[in-house]
Amino acid sequence: MKAYKLENEPKIATGFKTPDDYFDNFSTKVLQQINDREVNVIPLYKQKKVIAMLVAAIVIMALMIPIINNYNNKAKDLDEATLETYLSYQSNLNQYDLIKELDSKDIDKLSKSVALEQETLEDILSSNPNIENLISE
Amino acid sequence: MTKVVTDEKEFIAQLLDPKTQNIAFQKLLSDYQKPLYAHIRNIVLNHDDADDVLQNTFVKVFQYLKNFKGESKLFSWMYRIATNEALTFLNQKAKINGVTSEALQNKTIDNLKADVYFDGDEIQIKLQKAIVTLPEKQQLVFKMKYFQELKYEEIAEILGTSVGALKASYHHAVKKIELYVTSN
Repeated sequence: MKAYKLENEPKIATGFKTPDDYFDNFSTKVLQQINDREVNVIPLYKQKKVIAMLVAAIVIMALMIPIINNYNNKAKDLDEATLETYLSYQSNLNQYDLIKELDSKDIDKLSKSVALEQETLEDILSSNPNIENLISE
Repeated sequence: MTKVVTDEKEFIAQLLDPKTQNIAFQKLLSDYQKPLYAHIRNIVLNHDDADDVLQNTFVKVFQYLKNFKGESKLFSWMYRIATNEALTFLNQKAKINGVTSEALQNKTIDNLKADVYFDGDEIQIKLQKAIVTLPEKQQLVFKMKYFQELKYEEIAEILGTSVGALKASYHHAVKKIELYVTSN
């Protein structure tokens, strides 16, 4: 049998054909496909992103509830010093209003703290030039 | 040569600019649809499959254009995408059918006789059957050189191999084909 030599034989074509108008319509088909993908795919992706962002925002707000509550409670608690300052300088309370509020325990406390040392009393009496007024009273 | 490179750079810029993109892409389609179709059809053999792969190829070209660095020519970059798409398609089809790629190609060649978009006789079928017996790389080289008549330099750029290696591949392919045709 004679050896077959590709280069000695006439060129063999592929024999492949296409439908007559195949290449006339091909570009339209491809452009359509590109547009379809852009229309279908991108909004879906965007929608997912929006939903994810909404969920994230809700979770963050839910996590912040205890913090906000805590902050408000703290703000309502007035400390003693602020109250004292308010009462001394801002309120209309006078001495008599305060006295009315005192009970027997408070009076006992007051009398103790008022008790003066003998020496201090002597110092005051000796250094005070209006001692006579004091005595007469 | 410099003019060609500048023209290509300009053309790529037009493809990326939203204002000129549509017209430039239409031109790209009309310039490359026929050679790329022939290239893909030579790999997948059947018209419907070639149509699917060619559409996917152009969609991918459109999608990846913004990443095209211009390191290779637009022509070889597109051929590379087409080759990868066609080979991936063949492997997936073989996997779905649970057969090897060679068995699938043999079956496709047998079906060619009844294909309305195939106008060949015994010698064409025999040549295709001989090509299927070759390793994948030799098949590609033979089809690009013999059927498409691309230059070795062009094939080298598409497949990323040296011209010397391609010449050796083509030589081996021709020998094996001749042997197959003689003995069958």
